[in-house]
Amino acid sequence: MKRYAFFPGCLIPARHPAMEFAIRSTLPKLGIEIVDLEGASCCPDPIYFKSKDKLDWLAVAARNLTLAEDLGLDIFTNCSGCTATLSETYHLLQDEELRDRINRRLARIDREYRGTSRVRHIATLVRDEVGYDAVRESVERPLEGLKVAIHYGCHLLKPSRIMQVDNPDDPQVLERLIEALGATPVRHANWYLCCGKACDGEEIPNQMMHDLLATVHDEKADVLGMICPTCFGQFDHGQMKIAKLFDEDFHTPPIYYFQLLAFAQGVPYEKLGFERQRFKPLALQRYEEVAAE
Amino acid sequence: MSASDGRDEVVRVDFAFKRELAQKVEGDLANFCYQCGACVGDCPATRYSPAFNPREIMLKVLYGLESELLGPDSVLWQCTNCYGCHERCPQEVKPVEVIISLKNMLADRGLAPPAADKVIQTFMAQGRTVPDNPAIDKQRAKFDLPPMGAVPMDEILALLEPEVEEENGS
Repeated sequence: MKRYAFFPGCLIPARHPAMEFAIRSTLPKLGIEIVDLEGASCCPDPIYFKSKDKLDWLAVAARNLTLAEDLGLDIFTNCSGCTATLSETYHLLQDEELRDRINRRLARIDREYRGTSRVRHIATLVRDEVGYDAVRESVERPLEGLKVAIHYGCHLLKPSRIMQVDNPDDPQVLERLIEALGATPVRHANWYLCCGKACDGEEIPNQMMHDLLATVHDEKADVLGMICPTCFGQFDHGQMKIAKLFDEDFHTPPIYYFQLLAFAQGVPYEKLGFERQRFKPLALQRYEEVAAE
Repeated sequence: MSASDGRDEVVRVDFAFKRELAQKVEGDLANFCYQCGACVGDCPATRYSPAFNPREIMLKVLYGLESELLGPDSVLWQCTNCYGCHERCPQEVKPVEVIISLKNMLADRGLAPPAADKVIQTFMAQGRTVPDNPAIDKQRAKFDLPPMGAVPMDEILALLEPEVEEENGS
């Protein structure tokens, strides 16, 4: 087993425990041992907290990174926002002057940032340390014929020099991870569009979400596969709001990749918390019936 | 656009504004902007709001047009934080980072939007941005997950104390 420190952040453990459950259920089957980080705080939030004071943001993020350094482990994240904060901090603190300044703050609590723990998003951890073939081998019920529209979200991919996840103009990682489950990924026309959650106000995000959901809807996909809990909120209760606002029949259920993986690995549908979603991925149930026969 | 005092057509650069911005992390990067507009084509906020244009924002920064950037209901909050401009910029200006530095200046002036204040308040109380409540741990228990656990706030609050002179390196 390869050991990694797990940085769960706020949104997934507090709002979407089903996603955390899916991660804890799937990774050990792929040879990853999850080590919990005691005393971790919010990453902190790369939108509003960062917009208040970048130095405070770096100081809190650096403290979180030192928790993994204490364990001598690399970190993996399950939220694109946490990945952005922690990866940017790792990148920015390669500057000695800035690192010294942040370390003078950390000295107040007897901590020191050393830059020894790498930050990996869970999707790249699986791609690079497990591999698509091992994911395929872990699947107990292949999702043959399941059409999965793909939404990457912004912060997983950009800025690519810092995130080091994939080519933001033609990313592959989610498509390949979906294919490893036997399902069929679909790139809809507005695949690159932002979910709008981090934009203050109503007008811009509403229009953006409408256009994005319209091309998702055009594909008639069974589900919308995604990897970011913030985007997830936009596509679940947000989809209901947009459908009402624009009088459209949008209804593609969003699904977090690791819940889909857990299902393909054999975790029963009713254990995966889908009843809490506004749009439930009922298309999955046909694979349970096949398995039961 | 005019930054002149009205007596002539000369644009007067506000260096005090630019010096303040340069104190923010990566706030000085706008100086590398040569106004090519690569940031604009890929900007989702520009696509939906003509009022928001990252190239124009960088130009206003170069001139130091504080009054057009740092007011109540600033257009800067329309940025979607998608990082497309960071990806595209051939000069590594990182327009989104300059915009966030400008937001830091807005926050210094007490002009952050209510959504930002709410996030900060929740964080300062609990060290997280989703407020804790008993229903969360109940939900987690359904998935055999342990309770959220407390964040050591004494450490967090100590980190967020203002810097004393020997700490800020200036």
